[in-house]
Amino acid sequence: MSGYLKLAVKNLLRHSTRSALTMLGIAASVGVLFSVLSFNRGFNEGLAQELERTGLHFMVVPSGCAHEVASLVLHGAVIPKFLDISVMQNLEETSGIAMATPILVAQVPNPGKERIDLIYGLDMQAISSIKPNWQIEGNIPKEENEILLGHEIAEHEGLKPGDVFMETSDGTQLIVAGIVGLTGSQDDAFVYLPIGTAQLLLDQPDAATAIGVKVKDPERMSEITDTLTAAVPGIQIVTMSQVMNSISNLAASARALSLAIVLIAVLISAVGVMNSILMSVFERSQEIGMMRAVGASRRDIFRIILEETTILSLAGGLFGIFIATLASKLIEAFVRAVMPFVPSGSLISFDPLLAIGSIFFIMAIGLCVGLYPACKASKINPVEAIKG
Amino acid sequence: MIELRRIEKTYRRGAEDVRALRGIDLTIDKKELIAITGPSGAGKTTLLHILGCLDQPTNGEIFIDGVEVTNLPEAELVKLRRDKIGFVFQQFYLIPGLSVFDNIALPLLFSKKPANPDRIAKLADMVGLKHRLDHVPSQLSGGEMQRTAIARGLVNAPEILLADEPTGNLDSENSEMIFEILRSLSNEGLTVAMITHNPDLAIRAKRAVHIKDGLVHSER
Repeated sequence: MSGYLKLAVKNLLRHSTRSALTMLGIAASVGVLFSVLSFNRGFNEGLAQELERTGLHFMVVPSGCAHEVASLVLHGAVIPKFLDISVMQNLEETSGIAMATPILVAQVPNPGKERIDLIYGLDMQAISSIKPNWQIEGNIPKEENEILLGHEIAEHEGLKPGDVFMETSDGTQLIVAGIVGLTGSQDDAFVYLPIGTAQLLLDQPDAATAIGVKVKDPERMSEITDTLTAAVPGIQIVTMSQVMNSISNLAASARALSLAIVLIAVLISAVGVMNSILMSVFERSQEIGMMRAVGASRRDIFRIILEETTILSLAGGLFGIFIATLASKLIEAFVRAVMPFVPSGSLISFDPLLAIGSIFFIMAIGLCVGLYPACKASKINPVEAIKG
Repeated sequence: MIELRRIEKTYRRGAEDVRALRGIDLTIDKKELIAITGPSGAGKTTLLHILGCLDQPTNGEIFIDGVEVTNLPEAELVKLRRDKIGFVFQQFYLIPGLSVFDNIALPLLFSKKPANPDRIAKLADMVGLKHRLDHVPSQLSGGEMQRTAIARGLVNAPEILLADEPTGNLDSENSEMIFEILRSLSNEGLTVAMITHNPDLAIRAKRAVHIKDGLVHSER
């Protein structure tokens, strides 16, 4: 260890409690900073992946709010508007469309259980396109009276594949064919029915809240959407990239706010460092006077103090990233609980570049706040300091 | 070795100007052991700081080895302090977390010289602390702390050692030990200037200068 470094470390260890507390302040702020940045990355990557895995290119929905649509597509918000039957026919007649699958999302009162079920009607054959991430325990429904249950609702009702979920007003028993594995999203609360059954249950034959469309040639997509918009009144077309943008924008504002708060926390901890180092400089003024007398230049003193702040910042930064990495699962669970839409998969992945970046950032801040105490220390007049 | 000519030093304390030194002429020769005595506030410490190039006089001239060092830039004074001068203080000013070895070696850090373990051990041996090299100051007695500080003052092989009441915080037995170390250093060729309030020690120095009201009052 170089002499300066040793001296700086020993000085910090002299007030170990004070140094530890200051370092913890930095660790906390850097940890949160690192988590927020990692989360942002993970979130965007997860979102892009999720949408990419969806085989759909765009959704046709009743004209309305694009954000509503976005949330509908990804987790089935309930929009009390239905697409006209003619839309489906129109789509089938449009050239260049590989697949069009209707989706019906609604709330249905369940008289037997005195509650409202969230139902999601879809073409069970298209399930792998619409929900590519699902792990299904049991089978994908093949009959019209077979359904899938979200993890949460299945657990709540204690149902297994093969059990009867409910009996409709005309006496049909809906049988659980499979249960969707835990997704950590709102998908867990839905009952998934074949689209025909859902339409019957709602008494809305041929109704759909949205139609998922896959085109044959993605390059021709804008041409197709233009033709459709012109031909069919009252519809809106939302492409997957628009969905992604809508969600990203929502997430971005939350992110900007959280980042601002984190930066303020970093600033506060940096001021803590400055205060702590400044105090120790004042306490050691006689000692600094002695060092000047035995041959230390102003620059030597400056360097010692600056090294102390750098060590504190570095230690705090490393510790913060260590803690953040350990706690990433906890943070992820928290984020899943509070965010409106969260892609499946791991949100926070350890990114070494981001970790190094965060450490450099806090070290740069540490250097900046160290300048003042270091300057103060280097200007201590040895004669006055030694006289006490 | 060191020559002071008509040294005056005035500094401000609150609203008043304090004339700490009022025209001191003093020459310290090589290998001398000189005791500086005088009442509190007479200007002894200010004189020592000026001798050690730690403070600059308001008026007058200082020559070290025939070269004038008055009003040299700070960087030059730092170099002088490193190369030619050793300091010992009444309160020792050891760095608490550092071992005796590291405390002795501290000035080498600033003069950018390597800390040669044999040399440090030799210095520690000279002040009777060879067995204490790994100890930290809190494990030392007052006398041992001051001996550590003397070894620290010698580590850059200075030409003159300036000691400001080195025995002021010590009992008579330890004071005696410190004085003997300083005397033997002087016998070996080091110039030593020591402020002391202890008349027994002052009498035994080769030369004693009595300072009063910022002037050399008497000399023996």
